[in-house]
Amino acid sequence: MKCDWVQQNILFYVYNELEDDARYEVEQHLARCPECTNELKVTRKFHATMSQAQVAEPAPNLLAASRMRLQEALETTSQGGWWRRLIFEPATWLRQVRMSPALAAAIFVVGFGGGIGATYNYLGNRQSDNRPLVADLSPKQSPIEASAITGIRSISQDPGSNQVSIKYDTISTQEAQGSLNDQQIQQLLLFAARNNYNSGVRMDSVDLLTQQPNDTRVREALMYALQNDTNPGVRLKALDGLSGFIRQDATVRDAVLRALVSDASQGVRLQALRMVEPMKVDSNVHAVLARLAQSDQNPSIRSQAQTMLAEIPEMD
Amino acid sequence: MPADSYAVAITVGDTIRARRAEQQSGTQHPTIRGSLAAQGNRIDDTTLIREAQQGNRAAFEVLVRHYDQSVLRLALHLTGSETDAQDIYQEAFLKAYKNLGSFRFECSFYTWIYRIVTNLCLDHLRKRNVRKEDAPVAVDNSGEEYSLIEQFADARAGANPERDLMRRELGSKIGAALERLTPRERMVFELKHYHGLKLRTVGEMLHTTEETAKNTLFRATQKLRTALAEMR
Repeated sequence: MKCDWVQQNILFYVYNELEDDARYEVEQHLARCPECTNELKVTRKFHATMSQAQVAEPAPNLLAASRMRLQEALETTSQGGWWRRLIFEPATWLRQVRMSPALAAAIFVVGFGGGIGATYNYLGNRQSDNRPLVADLSPKQSPIEASAITGIRSISQDPGSNQVSIKYDTISTQEAQGSLNDQQIQQLLLFAARNNYNSGVRMDSVDLLTQQPNDTRVREALMYALQNDTNPGVRLKALDGLSGFIRQDATVRDAVLRALVSDASQGVRLQALRMVEPMKVDSNVHAVLARLAQSDQNPSIRSQAQTMLAEIPEMD
Repeated sequence: MPADSYAVAITVGDTIRARRAEQQSGTQHPTIRGSLAAQGNRIDDTTLIREAQQGNRAAFEVLVRHYDQSVLRLALHLTGSETDAQDIYQEAFLKAYKNLGSFRFECSFYTWIYRIVTNLCLDHLRKRNVRKEDAPVAVDNSGEEYSLIEQFADARAGANPERDLMRRELGSKIGAALERLTPRERMVFELKHYHGLKLRTVGEMLHTTEETAKNTLFRATQKLRTALAEMR
């Protein structure tokens, strides 16, 4: 047992790597054990053999050349900044954290607290996701992101009040309730008037918007519906909504005249014709009426236009 | 502090002039020699490191002079190639210069710079092992191949040709035996046997414990002894 230990340590004895007490023990053992003394001889011989390949000092020329080369390179090299130090030795960070229990504890507490907070937040969000999304819109609420609305499902108005209920789709279907004067309700109605694929919904929205045509945005939406809506019923509604403004708003008058000349629906055109009648002295209206009276394909419109023009008193 | 470092008792700012004069004359500058003899004290590494950390390149170059000879010797012995040794020298000191800011005086600068050098040498040995160049043949600056072991023998070449021949043979055997070691075993053996470092220091340089370095040295010597016995 002792010989095993000595023979394992004889190498370190030769290399002078033993502690003083271990060295003493080895020497004591060697003095009385020929086998281990032989091992010492073999190890010393090995040491001497390996030492024959002793390392030569580098040639002075090589050293000088290396120094010159380094010096040249240093001239174009800059020392790394603080961020580089962080990247270079992240292990130093960890070592420092390990060496500072207070800091480590603080980081742990902050991390733990943050984790709990995030979990509550997440669970809270999940709970609210499960509830039907009914937004009771108060005037304080901010407008809905227009790009978030993918469609309006239905619009209804409570009888005898100006309360409106609109179901609209975002990523999931949501419902908004509020007064007709409410900004978000108006926004949804305007959206529905312009964009919805369901003509019934467009009709409802245009119908509701006609209750508030004083708003220029509403008027624009009505004109847009009059000009672009594929459903003649919606266009008629829009025309109705605009009727009060044909006198004061030239753009409304032009929109109605365009509908009168080119709308695909004869019903819409006749309605437009009736609307422009009080304005027949206006030069634009007069010119349109003259053209209709002369060459419109629809006999009813042609004759009505002729009658209107005949009723205009001669200006002497 | 390594034995080959020398003392410089001049202000850091003067070192560039001193060094340039030295390069031109090919010898050490008389001012340095004189001050060495006269004063015997030196700008210690700590001062130089702090100066260098603040961007003083001259201070860094003085630091380099303290260590570069032993760095080059280690690289040369391990790689057996002047070109490779020069590359390692260059890369090691440039790396040290760039990252000097991260040196926190937790270990000696000697250990720190050797850590960089040994890492680069280990990388080199690993790459060479992949290439599996069995013969310890290296290429010198002029592109001429020479035996790594012959170089050892040449260093001790005497007047006796027979003895030289024997030395060459033994040298090639030792070289072949060393080639059998893993890069890490080779490094531990190199640092302990040929550079006389304490195993504790070797462990520090290689980011390991003294005990592991001891075990590695033990394994390396077993392998070497077996290899040399087989070659007889």
